[in-house]
Formats: sequence, C-alpha cells, structure tokens
Amino acid sequence: MGGVPATATARRARPARDPRPRGVTLGRVVASEADKLTSLRSTGWLALATVAAAAATAWGLVFARPEPGASGAPIAVAGAVLSQLGFLVLGARTGADEYRSGTARSTFAAVPRRLPVLAGQALVTAAAALVVAVTALGAAVAATAGLRAAAGLALDVTDPETARLLAGFVLHQTGVALVGLGLGALVRRPDAALVAGVLALVVLDHLLATNPGRVADTARALLPGAGARVLLDDGRLDALAAGSLGPHPGPWSGYLVLAAWAAALLAAAAYRLRRGDVT
Amino acid sequence: MIEVAALTKRYGPTTAVDGLTFTARAGAVTGFLGPNGAGKSTTMRVVVGLERPTSGTATVDGRRYADLPAPLRTVGVMLDARSVHPGRTAFRHLTALARTHGIGRARVDEVIGMTGLESVAGRRAGTFSLGMGQRLGIAAALLGDPGTLVLDEPVNGLDPDGVLWVRRLVRDLAAEGRAVLLSSHLMHELALCADRVVVIGRGRLLADAPVAELAADGSLEDAYLRLTAGAVEYQGRAVGEAGTTAVGGAR
Amino acid sequence: MTATTAASRRARPTAHRPADAGGPTLPRVVAAQWTALTSLRSSWWAAALTVVVSGVLTHLSAQASSVDPGFDPLGSLTSGVVLSQVPPLVLGVLVGTGDFSTGAFRTTYVAVPRRWPVLVAQTVATAAFALLTAVAAVAAAVLALLPSARSRDIALDLGRDGTPQTLVGMTLLLTAIALLGLAIGALVRRSVPALTAAVLLVLVLPVVLLLATDLSTDPLAPATGGVPPAVAVVNTVVAFLPSGAGALLTADVVVEGAPDLGPWGGGLVLAAWIALPLAAAALRLRTRDVV
Repeated sequence: MGGVPATATARRARPARDPRPRGVTLGRVVASEADKLTSLRSTGWLALATVAAAAATAWGLVFARPEPGASGAPIAVAGAVLSQLGFLVLGARTGADEYRSGTARSTFAAVPRRLPVLAGQALVTAAAALVVAVTALGAAVAATAGLRAAAGLALDVTDPETARLLAGFVLHQTGVALVGLGLGALVRRPDAALVAGVLALVVLDHLLATNPGRVADTARALLPGAGARVLLDDGRLDALAAGSLGPHPGPWSGYLVLAAWAAALLAAAAYRLRRGDVT
Repeated sequence: MIEVAALTKRYGPTTAVDGLTFTARAGAVTGFLGPNGAGKSTTMRVVVGLERPTSGTATVDGRRYADLPAPLRTVGVMLDARSVHPGRTAFRHLTALARTHGIGRARVDEVIGMTGLESVAGRRAGTFSLGMGQRLGIAAALLGDPGTLVLDEPVNGLDPDGVLWVRRLVRDLAAEGRAVLLSSHLMHELALCADRVVVIGRGRLLADAPVAELAADGSLEDAYLRLTAGAVEYQGRAVGEAGTTAVGGAR
Repeated sequence: MTATTAASRRARPTAHRPADAGGPTLPRVVAAQWTALTSLRSSWWAAALTVVVSGVLTHLSAQASSVDPGFDPLGSLTSGVVLSQVPPLVLGVLVGTGDFSTGAFRTTYVAVPRRWPVLVAQTVATAAFALLTAVAAVAAAVLALLPSARSRDIALDLGRDGTPQTLVGMTLLLTAIALLGLAIGALVRRSVPALTAAVLLVLVLPVVLLLATDLSTDPLAPATGGVPPAVAVVNTVVAFLPSGAGALLTADVVVEGAPDLGPWGGGLVLAAWIALPLAAAALRLRTRDVV
C-alpha cells in the first residue's frame, strides 16, 4: 500500500545536529560549480574536440612548413586560432546556461549573495581551461614530434621565445574562456555570447587585418583579438609592427588587452547580477 | 474515437508501454490514469504520431494519425504546455497553427475567447504563467473544432475557476458527440467529469471500466490506489522512516 | 456528475469546412511557417543588422579609399559582405533549431504529421525572408557608396561590366548563407552546437586556413615566383568551403592555386553545402521519433 501513513501519535526524536558549519562559503560554491561543469557529458566532448583541433592543426601545418632549422614552437601553438572556439564555448555556456535552463532559480536561492557564484564560475572555468589547454598543447607537441624531427624543427624549452609561445598558448586559451564566461554571464544567452565572441576574437581581427589603415590598426590593437600576439614568434611580431600604422603592442601587452576585456566583461556581468533580477 | 490495440513502445531496454489495448469512444470522456512514469504520455505521443510504436497500433477514427487528411480538424491535442516558442505572442502562435489547415482568423479569435485569453493574447508566451500556458494549449487543441480530443493533464496549474471551466468544457464536448481522452492525477475531479476510466501501471493495462463501477465501494481514489499498489515507480518515504538520513542543519 | 444520456446529447455544431479536406497542404504550411518566422523579434533584428552592417561597412570602406587617386567607388561594393553574412547565418540556425530548442516541435509536427512539408516550408519561408533582407542589404551597400562617389564627382554606373553580376551574387550569397544556417540547425537541432558548427564552418575555418598559409611562409624571406604548394592547397580547400565558394559568386577573380570554378561552380558548391545537411535532416525526421 503506497498511501500516506497515519500521523504518528508517538513523537519521534529529531536526528542529531550536524556539528559542521551550515552556511554558504566560497569554497562550497566553487565545489558546486565544479560539480556542475564536470557533470555534463558535453563538457567532456567539448574538451576532446578542442584538444583534437589543436593537435590536428599543428599536425597539418608541419606538412605545409617548407624550411627546416627554424623553431617548431610556432607550429605547435598554431592550433590556437581554431581551438579557441572550444574555450569560448566552454566559457559562454557556463555563463549562460544557468539562465537558459532556469537553473538560476535554484542556484541563486541557494546562494542569495549571487556574486560568489560568478566568482566560482570564473575559478572553475579558468581551472578547466588551464587543464584542457595544457592537454591540447601536449597533444599538439606530441602529434608533431616525429614530423618535426624529420623536418629538423627544434622545440627548445629554454629558448625564451619558445617558452613564451608555449606559456602564451595556455594563457591565451584560458583568457578566451574567461572572455566567453563574461559574455555568457552578461548577455545570458549562449548563442548571442558565442557569436559576439567569435566576432570579437576572430572575424573582426581578420577583417581589420585585411583592410589596414590607421583606424583599423588601432582598433586591432584594442580588441580582444590582440591577445593572439602572445602566440606569434618574434619574426612575425616585427613584421606586424612594421606594417602597422597604429600602436603596436608587444606580445604581453596584447595579452593584457585580452585579460582586460575578460575583466571588464566579468565586471559588467557582476554588476548586472548584483543589481538586477536573475529570472 | 481512439483505438489502441496491443500497443508496445520500447526505448532500448526499457519498455514504456506493454501490450496496451483500450478504446476512447465518441460521446464519452475517458479518463487516463496511472502513476508517474506509467506510460500515459508515451501512449498519447504515439497516438498523435510524434513517436512510432514498436508494435501494435494506435488509430483515430480507424486511421493512423499521419494518414488523416486534416489532423487538427480530427484530433485536438494538448500534450505539454511548454510546446510554444517563448518569443512568440499567443495570438501569433495560434495563427501560425491555424494557417497550416487554412483555419481563419475568426476561429482563432473564437478559441482565444473560449479560453479566456483575450487580455494576454498579444503577450509573448515566454511571459505566461503556468495556468495561462495551459489555457493556450487548450486553445490550440480546440482550434480545428475536432471530433476527438487528447489532453495530457489539462488542469495542471489552473485555478479553481479554471478547473471548473475545463470540467464543463470537457463534458460539453462529449455531450456534442466528441471523444475525449484526458489524463489527470486529480481523482476527485476526474470522478466528476469522466465516464470511463483506463488505469495503466508500468505500461500495462490495469483496469478499463466505467467510473461508477470502479467507485462502487469507496471512492475512485481508493480503487485507483488499490489497483496501482504494485505498479508505483517512484515511492517517497515519510520523514523519520528507516533509511532517511539527517542533513546537517536540523534545528 | 456524468450526464451523457441520449436525451441530453446535443448535435455538434457544424463548423464551416473548406472545399478540400481542410488539411495541411504545402502552401498552407508555408504560410504558417512564414507567420512563425515573422512573428519573432529576432528575425527582424537579424534583418536590420544585415542591412545596417552592409551599409556602414561599405560606406567606411569607400570613404577610406576615396582619397586614393585611382578611386573606383564600385571597388568597395563588396567590402561589407563578409560581416553582413553573420546575421543571416544566425537567423537560419535559429529557424532550424527553434522548434526543437523550445519544445514547440510538439505543436508543429502534430499539425503536420507527415513532417517533410514542415522542413520544405521552413526552407521556402527562410529563403523568401532572407532574399528580401539581402535585396535591402545590397541596396544599402550601393547607397552607401554615393557620398564618397559624389565627393570625387564620380558617377556610379551600375550597368558596367561585372557589377550586375556582383550585385546578384551578393544577394544570392546572403540568401544562401541563411539557408546554410537553416540546414545545419535543422540537422543538429540544438542551438549552441548548431551555431558553433555554422560559425566554425563559415567564419573560423577560412581564417584558420589563411593563417596557416601565413605561418608556412616566412614573412621576411624574399618573394619567390609562382604559387607555393602550401598556399595552393589551402586556396583549393577554401574554394570548396562555403565562404570561398560564396566569394566566387560575388567576384570573378581567379584565386591563385585554386581550381577555376567561376561563379556557377561556386554557386553549385554552396548549394551542395545547403542540400546535404538538409537532406540528412529530412532523413532524420522521416526515420526517427520526433522528441
């Protein structure tokens, strides 16, 4: 019989009180956000696709590269343009999914101060992006190892330029993921965030590059696409600076532009989160 | 009239509907009862052609749903109130639906009036409350003036006024000679508006009888609970019963 | 209480029925999909954005080039094409995924249980809406050239060799891109994966390939004669991507190393990119449950 049991006349003893602190802490919010990210099968597929994209692009480029003796680092990190799409989706989806699916109602009922959730999402996204980026870089290096040796392309980690490129790859992709998170949390629609991100990072940069001019070059230096400069080897950076009529930031200045965009978007998202409604 | 004969629907290893046979006749309201996960919604989806049966048949007026020349004029369907694009206004949603069958604007206005949605017809469906969404779903079902109606939990989320309105509506439709198949979990309400009741559990038929006969000794609710005792999929437990653990924070 | 005795059974009011069975014929389903498409604010935003982007970019490009001695305003005609493809692409994806991502498919396929008319109707409605948008966008581009042309006292001769073809090509391209979005959306059915795939295919992949050629050539090395094999391979691949094929529609140039498909070839390639996902979507509708 599955009916409701009769109300007990004998009073049952309440369960003993749990001694641990009861409230919401940042650590718990971070753990919760990490759980949300890893509980989706699509996250795994996305990570896999991103790693594959980076490795495949690098592998394809080794065939295209004609002259030996140069550094193999630019090739290993060349997949960044393609794989950054995966990081963008990772961030945009994390930021926007709460609102699209209505999960925001339960999330912000549990954490009414709200901002810890965004902070937790940023930490978790950055951590996940770091892991995936390192894996992608490793895959790209591994995929091209044999071919690079045959073509005579060295990968010397002690060389400062190589070190910059390798570290820059990981940092750049993580930065892109955070830009995605900022966009997703701000506009709250994953498709709009994705399109805006692709436009800002890839399309606009390419368009401006092919239509050079003082205004175009200045804009290029100030858009998040400038972050890609950290992935260019010194020869290409010099060529870029020589051909530019606007400011030509160095690799790390370019990365700072990307980081500043991420910070600004996240700040805007935080403002909206704090002041507005979450439904 | 809806005829379901030896209908079976499997999703991989799971059998959602298992050899179900029943008829929802014209001129009567047939209630469709069963625990959560019993296969009611699956059966309804097969009847209206959204899903194909693994074996067996489900026909409306003797034909498969997909073979009907004018489906909306034969069967009015309300499966899920969330079947509307949230960016569309109620009026446009109904108009787009009406256009598929050449149904005119007059009829659209008529069903909006019948369901009491005049004041919100121009609002986007994403802003609707649960009750308003339900009414919109019922409006869509009535659009083609069909001879058969399939309604999945139509009174879900409606206020008492709305519940009474659906009861009267459904009885009037049956009195006009239409067949109505409606699923519900509100026993007392169903006892008031249904003529026959089909009870299923775990995809199988448990009872198919007039309400009066089932509720002969005791209420419909008692009869239902008796029939479905062994077929409940998700059984909750009372607080304090064996197996319940305390979560930190009891005061 | 039940009350269905024979005495109380009323006659069902006879509703007016049209001459035919009153069912979902293809013209009716097209009308319904048109209503559905135009009832969404996002459709109108996409159309407006297309026109605005086309006009603004063309104007800026023409203004920037107007100081050159050999200025030809019509040379800037296609400068807005790449970016103005984005709103139609997104529009197409949204139409293709809209039914499934919102649950409205339950209403749609219950009204039209044979299913295929819905996909056909979506294609027709999207094509019509995109065509109207494209015409407006191309007109905006032409109008945007006027200020810079007038500043240099150059008359715009639209009948000149190549220009009518470019105008038609731009219109077709914008329409086709919307249909490509529809095809991908109808196949994938979920908006984020569909949008990612569409954006990847149309926007990102060409840039990646171009950067690849850039990487494979040392920028500081002296220019050699002929086309490096790497560049030829990449240009061939790009010619068979929607963006490259589409570019062939608008300009009659031969890209070095790529096969000379010409505008008709480019159009065929683009049509194939649309037709294949659409066919796969139709097959999926036919053989699987609609859930």
